[in-house]
Amino acid sequence: MLSTEYRVLRGPEGYLPPAAASMGVVLPEKGSALVEGCIVPKEDAMELIADKLLSAKNPFFFPGPLVLWAWKDGVVEKAKAIKEMAEAAEAKIIPMPDYRPKYPMINPAIEINPNHPNLTIWHNKIDVCVFIGVHCHYANMALKIIRGGTECYTIALCGEAGHEDAMISLRDVRVEDLKRMTQIIMEKKGVGK
Amino acid sequence: MKKNIFQISPSFYDVMPAEYRELVENGPFEKKVGVSDLGAFKELSEEHPLCAGCGLALSLRLILASLPNPEDTIIVGSTGCSAIAFPQVAVQNIHSLFGNQNAIASGVKRALTLRFPDKIKDVVVIAGDGATVDIGLDMVMQSWFRQERITTIMLDNEAYANTGGQESGMSQEGAVLHMAPKGKTFPKVSLPELARASGCVYVAAVNPAKPKKLEKAIVRGVLAARELGPTYIQVFTPCPTNYKFKPNETIEKIKMRVKEGTYETTEFISAEAQELFARLEEGKK
Amino acid sequence: MIEQRAVEPAQLFEAKKESQFITGSEAIREAIRRANVEMAISYPITPQSESMHLVGDLFAEGYIKEYFRGENEFAVMSSVAGAAMAGVRVFTATGGPGTLRAFEAFPTWAGARLPIVCAFMTRGVNSPLTIQPDTIEMAYMLDTGIIMLHAETAQDLYDMILRAFIIAEQTEVHIPVGVFTDGFFVTHTRDKVKIAPADMKLPPYDPYSSPVPVMDMENVPFRQMRDPFVMKSNYVSYAAHASWQQEVMAAAERARKYIKQYIGELIETEYPDADILLIGSGTAVSQSREAMAYARSEGFNVGLVKIKSIRPFPAQEIRELVKRAKVVIVPEFNRVGWLAREIKSVAEDTTKIVVGPHVFGGMTMPPGMILDEIRRTSV
Repeated sequence: MLSTEYRVLRGPEGYLPPAAASMGVVLPEKGSALVEGCIVPKEDAMELIADKLLSAKNPFFFPGPLVLWAWKDGVVEKAKAIKEMAEAAEAKIIPMPDYRPKYPMINPAIEINPNHPNLTIWHNKIDVCVFIGVHCHYANMALKIIRGGTECYTIALCGEAGHEDAMISLRDVRVEDLKRMTQIIMEKKGVGK
Repeated sequence: MKKNIFQISPSFYDVMPAEYRELVENGPFEKKVGVSDLGAFKELSEEHPLCAGCGLALSLRLILASLPNPEDTIIVGSTGCSAIAFPQVAVQNIHSLFGNQNAIASGVKRALTLRFPDKIKDVVVIAGDGATVDIGLDMVMQSWFRQERITTIMLDNEAYANTGGQESGMSQEGAVLHMAPKGKTFPKVSLPELARASGCVYVAAVNPAKPKKLEKAIVRGVLAARELGPTYIQVFTPCPTNYKFKPNETIEKIKMRVKEGTYETTEFISAEAQELFARLEEGKK
Repeated sequence: MIEQRAVEPAQLFEAKKESQFITGSEAIREAIRRANVEMAISYPITPQSESMHLVGDLFAEGYIKEYFRGENEFAVMSSVAGAAMAGVRVFTATGGPGTLRAFEAFPTWAGARLPIVCAFMTRGVNSPLTIQPDTIEMAYMLDTGIIMLHAETAQDLYDMILRAFIIAEQTEVHIPVGVFTDGFFVTHTRDKVKIAPADMKLPPYDPYSSPVPVMDMENVPFRQMRDPFVMKSNYVSYAAHASWQQEVMAAAERARKYIKQYIGELIETEYPDADILLIGSGTAVSQSREAMAYARSEGFNVGLVKIKSIRPFPAQEIRELVKRAKVVIVPEFNRVGWLAREIKSVAEDTTKIVVGPHVFGGMTMPPGMILDEIRRTSV
């Protein structure tokens, strides 16, 4: 609250890292984005997301319930755009179908759970991950655990106000934004010029 | 066409864990399945950590299989053994605090009636005996007085099982349990009688040794609550862990208690519920 | 009932207002009339009862769709939680012993990310029985995780309640807001209150932008419990509960922006550079303002700080103000001095903070009491 120095960086940060919002990191206004705790133009963050994904050894997308299930209009299209973006970035996909604490344990090869996202990240040796379609509360909860215990670089593509606890976060992400990022990724790869 | 909340986005179909694909393809949603179909459809509950031989776990399976419209049912639970199984249940459900389940359910039911006036939204309370007859009794009975259209189901294992086996109001007189080291000094509370006197339109006491009877009571309890007013169903769910019998003896214990007359199965159907059930039976023909 | 149209929050807040001479309880009614509340649940306790009678009148007139009297405050706060989880905008009110009776519910409201708005009309707690004004219940509420706004006047009460819904319902906030006011002093006295036209109301609440799923079987995931024993998950998941709690605290931090946007700064100041600062909240501010006027007429260099938001606490602002002042006096209507503790917890030099004067048990605080403190500390 009193610090202005806190930066949201690749972990492992420690035993119990703080919520970035409690360390003075504020969410961006519409049109802006967050990179490691600092507010930047959305376009810059999109470029950086493309760079992070393309330079990753083992990038993964973690789609959550809001996009895994075709529960309202527009989701099917959004899911398609997410898949295309992941494919462009040559990232794999592991879903977070729900948020329950699961018995006897999750299979970290095929799913991720917000109560212990670190298991999936460790198991698959994931160095860059993208959260999308996860309810904000559970996304923040998981992002802090990842920052605390893993070396994974976290990106949150949020349909609402964004996430201070991710290293890069966009807000109000719509299908056009996903398509734009896919395009940036393709351009950086030298495809489609 | 399935309700859209049960449809997987086509782009992610291949990455969804099998249990979800199975649930939407072969689950009980928008189908007429019941306890006789168990084994032939994907059940609502996934693996849970309850003890071997748990009467509550068995009953919960049967109750979930009996729900007439799981796709439009919201369950309200309470603290206790069942609260550890409920996160695995594929119906939106609530655990708030110990004992406030019927107050929560009153708010849920009224809110859903406001938001979805033309849709079925069944609100079913499923809680233990401690939650229902001890710590939550005033809220249970007040919801009945107010004629809230909710179904209240008690999973009666005659003890506070999750906290290590303490005496509850539903323990039998003389039972030696924690906090009753010299034996319980007052009789088992007769909640079915209280339910009837408090305005429940349908009351039943059933057990998992008779699954079809249990199913019938659940269906009746839910349908009568949907149309008429509060209903109460008490399910005898013995606890091998705290009553120290073998896990494979649970059903035998139930049968024995019924035989010796210390756990009656009962059913009370109000005149209006009788009429409703007759009408529904007629509609089926 | 007047036909109402839903408008953007800013349009309602900035609409041309009419002045009415009404009680604090009536100010609550006027806020709720314009808040597009779907459901309200009541339970009597002095000095709150009148406000929920008036909200009941709104139900009878058709402004609210559902309303009933619950069986006790714990049950009411539980029913309110159920309604919020099922996706409606909901309101209730309580105070004093009612607050304590309901206490277990408040941390669960915050933990479950419920955007409930509750008005607290504060009074003393037993024993012995008292119905008189006292802000001690706020001391207990400080760490429940809910946002706490403290109204000084009926105008504050109207403004804060109406705006509380919009603050509470922001996706990234989405925790309850308690609007506190001093029982009787505000609820049962008349004052001029500027009120927006009655044909306008807030836009409806959208439950599907909630940061957690809604319990209606119309959204996903359908396999969802609110809220499970997260620590019972895998062997490494103790951190889940900790991270969850941090997120609830973070939500309150995010509320700062919206409190500033809709209510103004978290504090208001008069002569903030003065040597002696009176810092208070609620009606202690009114008494302090009067004391300040006397003191300034006697030549003392006295200023005033009104704290409007107790949670989140204006830590940075208070720290800076305390740093500049020579003496800080914290008058309070309770015996424990919780506000002084809060101020001390953020001040660099706590020796300049005077804990008091205090009154409690329903006593009034004559400005002379504060004036005496100003004179004493100026010697």
